[in-house]
Amino acid sequence: MTPTATGVSRPGFAWAAPAAVFFGLFALLPLVLVAVLSFTHWDGLSAPRFTGLDNWSKLFDDPVMLKSLWLSVLLTGLGVAVQTPLSILLGVWAAGHQRNRAVLSAIYFVPLLLSAAAVSVLWRAVLDPNFGVPAHAEWLFGDGNLFGVQSSAIGVLVFVSAWQFTPLHTLIYQGAARAVPRVLYQAAQIDGAGRVRQFFHITLPQLRNSIITSTILMVVGGLTTFDTVLILTQGGPGTDTTISAFYMYQKAFKNFDYGTASAIGVLLVLVATVISLIVVRLSGYDRMRSTMEGL
Amino acid sequence: MRPRARFLRKAVVGGAVLTLTLTLSACGGDTGRAGGDDGKIHVLVYGDSANKVEKRIIATFNKTSKVKAVLDTIPGADYQAKLQTIINSEQAPDVFFNWGGGSIKPFVDAGLLMPLDDFIAKDPGLKDKFLPSVFKSAEVNGKPYGVPMRGTQPVLLFHNKKVLEEAGIEPPRTWDDLLAAVRKLKAEGVTPIALGGGDKWPTLMWFEYLYDRVAGPGLFQKALAGDKDAWASADSRKALGMLKSLADAGAFGTNYDSVKFTDQGSPTLLATGKAGFELMGSWEYSTQQDSHPDFAAHDLGYSTFPSVDGGKGDPDNLVGNTNNFYSVLKKTKHPEAVAEFLKLQYSDEFVKAQLGIGNLPTTTTTDKFLDTAADPDFARYQYDKVEKAPAFQLSWDQAYPQTATVGMHQAVQQFLNGGLDEDGFIKAMQALPTS
Repeated sequence: MTPTATGVSRPGFAWAAPAAVFFGLFALLPLVLVAVLSFTHWDGLSAPRFTGLDNWSKLFDDPVMLKSLWLSVLLTGLGVAVQTPLSILLGVWAAGHQRNRAVLSAIYFVPLLLSAAAVSVLWRAVLDPNFGVPAHAEWLFGDGNLFGVQSSAIGVLVFVSAWQFTPLHTLIYQGAARAVPRVLYQAAQIDGAGRVRQFFHITLPQLRNSIITSTILMVVGGLTTFDTVLILTQGGPGTDTTISAFYMYQKAFKNFDYGTASAIGVLLVLVATVISLIVVRLSGYDRMRSTMEGL
Repeated sequence: MRPRARFLRKAVVGGAVLTLTLTLSACGGDTGRAGGDDGKIHVLVYGDSANKVEKRIIATFNKTSKVKAVLDTIPGADYQAKLQTIINSEQAPDVFFNWGGGSIKPFVDAGLLMPLDDFIAKDPGLKDKFLPSVFKSAEVNGKPYGVPMRGTQPVLLFHNKKVLEEAGIEPPRTWDDLLAAVRKLKAEGVTPIALGGGDKWPTLMWFEYLYDRVAGPGLFQKALAGDKDAWASADSRKALGMLKSLADAGAFGTNYDSVKFTDQGSPTLLATGKAGFELMGSWEYSTQQDSHPDFAAHDLGYSTFPSVDGGKGDPDNLVGNTNNFYSVLKKTKHPEAVAEFLKLQYSDEFVKAQLGIGNLPTTTTTDKFLDTAADPDFARYQYDKVEKAPAFQLSWDQAYPQTATVGMHQAVQQFLNGGLDEDGFIKAMQALPTS
């Protein structure tokens, strides 16, 4: 460690070595291997056989693949649209200090502790058309064929993901809302601003960076959603909820076509990267403006 | 600079050791099996409640054999995927559980399995002690690759006796009987037929039987052999039309695609009297015994699939899982021990133990022990049906190569719920890989 002019030492590169080794071994190396596999035909039995761009050209001609990409983006978009306003409101509310809020918040965060598989099994049982809630609320659910129709199957997937992940994002917003300097609110109060105005003119702008962080988490999480689809709909009815991550699983472990599955995997990485970059660019995060400016 | 240099060296060495450890532990997941041979034979099976019999048979084997056997299990849903990943590696088992037919064909094609001709030449019992129709379904390219284990699972039309009685219905013997029963049950406000469409394979069972009754077993065999025209034939269209009119008559209700068999959805519909019938494999019986014992003991009735007027299929034909099988890896280091182990699959001890847990083994000696079964009447009924069946069609999704399963399941689901029309279904089936 070399002491700098101010006497504060900067960490050397060696500190990053363990992380770099792990990242290389478990993230970069597999990614490269998968990229190589995407140019082969491999059934897991005999040695992979190079087939050039075959898997890729087949993918772009495959109506299920194109539909699955659209479905992935749709589910992700709906997830963001539903979860963001909910978690901002809940987070700001939970940032208060009254005792009942602490108790309610603690209960509210429970879904976060359950695994996605458990959550999916739970909701599958609750939504059973003959023995679950729909059987007792026909005015709302009709015949209860939630998983047999595309629109309601997508609705259930969005709802279950929101039920599970809104608490996580609420937690992010709760922390961020608590970090907003109180002087801002005191000044606003003196100027006569009401609670709604305070929310839109102080809280929301101060949460800007958290909104971006949370949105990127939702986008990446949404594009790689898999377990809820596997347990709740198995991609059905037909291929109506076959999102790309689930399609990749089907290709690899049901059709034993690891080459095509690898191509889908690489494609997903590309799509997620592009969408994340767009979010960052649109949001101005790259300029890294501090919310503390002007204080 | 000295502290820094020392730190760097430590970090590099530490990193290297860490990497090495990780690599080693990744390879060493299966301890003590250097080069795939640890002086034992490994038997890999589908992990479920039937494992208790397999454990017992292995214990019996190990009492006398010099080469010991070890039982490895993989939990149900993951079985096929995990088997496929290890079968061409050092971790491959010597003997493994499968469904015969298409489930082992890729392994045979990859040259991994041992044809059992030599074993059978030395011990004809490995073939003669099993019902021929069953033994045949593990033949690939005319050579035997499997010895039956566990039991046969024909698909039967189960019903709720009370519900049928209240509606004044007898178990249907013809397709017209079934349509009449559907109308009567609907009038009673009952879902005529419980169907776990969410799982997709229960839907497939209706196709398998109706095609058999209308066209006979030949049509499917032709299609499986690669004759895609079979799906577009007049018989195929007739079967599809009948299925469609059954669904349109409301036989399955409207929400069957949201119901599953695997989470007890459709069996509970039948047991609680909300449905009259369910077409299901013989395991329906033990499923009901587990969760609705009273219903299983008194009100669960069963019959075969109805006949179709003018149909070419024999009404005694069955579809279902003909059996499970043990197949042998070509590279096993202990073929003699494996042959000895396979002999136990037709022993009296095996037959009695399987019957005791509700399975119906298909050895020629099963007959003698039927009275020791969990439910002797049901065991006898099944045994007689299987024995006299002129044809026993292995479930389509197991007869076809595994690569066809997803597409086939999607097609049958979409045809029944109206997502695909007749031509769409035919096209989807023609697009499936057949070899």
